[in-house]
Amino acid sequence: MKVGYLCTFTPKELIHSAGFLPYRVFATERPINLASAYIQSYSCSQARGALECALHEDFYAFVFTRCCDTLMRLTDIFEFAGKKVYNIEFPTKLGNLEYYVRELRDFVKVLEEWGGEVTYERVIESLRLYRELEKKLKRLFEFSPDYKTAIEVQQIDVRDAIKLVDEKIKSAKEEKEKPKVLITGSVCPYPKVYEIFREAGFSVKDDLCTGSRFSEYSYPDFEPEDLDSALRFIAEKYLRKSPCPTKHYENDRRFEYVLKLAEDCDAVVFLLVKFCDPHFFDYPQLRERLEGIGKKVALIELEFPVVSLEQIRTRVEALREVIE
Amino acid sequence: MRKLRTSDRMRELMGHYYMQGHQAEFNAWITSGAPVELLYAMDIYPVYPENHGALIGATKLGGYYSEFSEKRGFSRDLCSYARCDIGCVFAGTSPIGGLPKPTFLFACNNICNTVVKWYEVLSRIFKVPLFVLDMPFVRKELKESHLRYVEEQLYDFIDFSEKITGKSLEDSRLKDVISKSLEGVRLYSECLRTAKNRPSPMTCFDAFVNMAPIVCLRGTEHAVSFYTEMKEELEERVRNGISAIENEEIRLLWDNIPVWYRLRWFGEFFERRNACLVADTYTNAWTGFGELKKDDIISSMAEVYTLSYLNIGMDMTAEIINRLIEIYEVDGVVMHSNRSCKPYSFGQYEIQKKLSVPAVIIEADMVDERVFSEAQVVTRLEAFLEML
Repeated sequence: MKVGYLCTFTPKELIHSAGFLPYRVFATERPINLASAYIQSYSCSQARGALECALHEDFYAFVFTRCCDTLMRLTDIFEFAGKKVYNIEFPTKLGNLEYYVRELRDFVKVLEEWGGEVTYERVIESLRLYRELEKKLKRLFEFSPDYKTAIEVQQIDVRDAIKLVDEKIKSAKEEKEKPKVLITGSVCPYPKVYEIFREAGFSVKDDLCTGSRFSEYSYPDFEPEDLDSALRFIAEKYLRKSPCPTKHYENDRRFEYVLKLAEDCDAVVFLLVKFCDPHFFDYPQLRERLEGIGKKVALIELEFPVVSLEQIRTRVEALREVIE
Repeated sequence: MRKLRTSDRMRELMGHYYMQGHQAEFNAWITSGAPVELLYAMDIYPVYPENHGALIGATKLGGYYSEFSEKRGFSRDLCSYARCDIGCVFAGTSPIGGLPKPTFLFACNNICNTVVKWYEVLSRIFKVPLFVLDMPFVRKELKESHLRYVEEQLYDFIDFSEKITGKSLEDSRLKDVISKSLEGVRLYSECLRTAKNRPSPMTCFDAFVNMAPIVCLRGTEHAVSFYTEMKEELEERVRNGISAIENEEIRLLWDNIPVWYRLRWFGEFFERRNACLVADTYTNAWTGFGELKKDDIISSMAEVYTLSYLNIGMDMTAEIINRLIEIYEVDGVVMHSNRSCKPYSFGQYEIQKKLSVPAVIIEADMVDERVFSEAQVVTRLEAFLEML
């Protein structure tokens, strides 16, 4: 049974350990139609597209994490649309581990109410599987980022996902030396968009949660001994996840992270979903910092489903020319 | 519309408030839903960028100041309070000559997560510390775990402020500020409640215009004396049968932040159609701060502020609106779908269906007059009033 989630801060290991399929919900190729009756047009098309998907497809339930103002309200809206939902209050200000462990304990109870069984052994197994998937995805991305695969693995069983990535690694070829672009943003669930960058002569690196941010963690260095310490492990893993603009970090960790990623790149593209407030607030000052270290920067605003690939192509090609 | 005498006094009071900010030894820029009592108790002067944004909207300069930040790359889709306020920082001025430079910043996300991002921007511009008070969203029920999380942060905040100012928070001082806060909120709530009378002595436009003291001066004697005076004037109107509008036939409730640059326009529009907007959800939100407990200040502060109006789930919101509908005996609700305020606006389509009276949704923006479509608003409102 599918349990849908929207944000990569969702503890998918717990959903998986309870016997559900954690399924990341994205906007699809389907035009946004039914969702417009539930939420205003000035919400981002990832939110509207995910709702559209939820209204068409079969899910057992949906799990939300507090990220942005839209996601905060979306839980209720999904419930109003007749869906079973639960919201985990992921902290906005990162730091208080105990608080988040308590949130996860509550979530375990909910999974049990939903008929799942969460045991120490099962959580450890899910943790192991996801860690393997994350490690292999990172390896694949080191050869050559494969966005189609990165998106696909978020919607299939983790064991199948590992097999899929294994196959991709076998056939992966290292990319030739080309000017490198860092694509930064939230989600872009359309592999064809990334192809545009390659077709324009870039090699690609990313800071997206439909790309590297899905598998970028620094893991705690202890072995969980019981269910509660496994929850602690998960809490810590997610608090130490690659930084996202929806969270508040000490010492501007998010900016420093992106600046570091950009070091070996020639250009940076902000690939932002229209109405995505957290990213758009960061954009001007982050852009300034990136330009300060000599990067060429462009902003491309997206709305899902992406209808005009050619407009994006024109922008990307122009950027490629500037670099030459 | 009959203007309240106290509105002139409010202008004087707020003028004085803004001037004082420039003389204060320490000042903190603070979000509208944060526990300001802590600042007053530590002699830290609170500066409200949101109130500043509203003021800019009311002077119809929202578009003008927004452009200063838009030119720097801030998207036109971002909150217009934020765009305006950041714009004023870049412009180096504002209708009141700009806000004083902050000693530190204090953002509480019980009204939105937008303020966290907005204050991060300010923190980079001014190179001053930012304290984020993270309040979990209460979708269904307030959890003990959430309260503990907030309470711990309140103590962190006190430490943080004490370190910066070198002063310590005195219990007696905090108690005194809380007493004044409670007194101010009580009087303010009583002012709003006079609108229960038929005809109502005030409109929500009077409430909007006169809300600045409860936001900015809550916890001081100024708010207490201001709302005492306002209450006297309103009660005098009730005694003498003086109504806010000429001929009150329809009573309405407003939802969301006002359209600041069109306050008078809306007021006259409704008055011409004998409709009185007697109350609203925005100004009513501050009445909730009257639940603070004098004997257990920090933990009751955690509870009261976490349960702020924009930090609760849709079921609770609909319940509150239905209660307001009952208290003020309104015939309909006008819901402002506000492009600038996602947490206030998303969910309105659903809430509308849970209300006990008919509601209409109009699209606008609280400060950015460039997106206001008069013809569309008129058509919707006229159809709605006719239906009522």
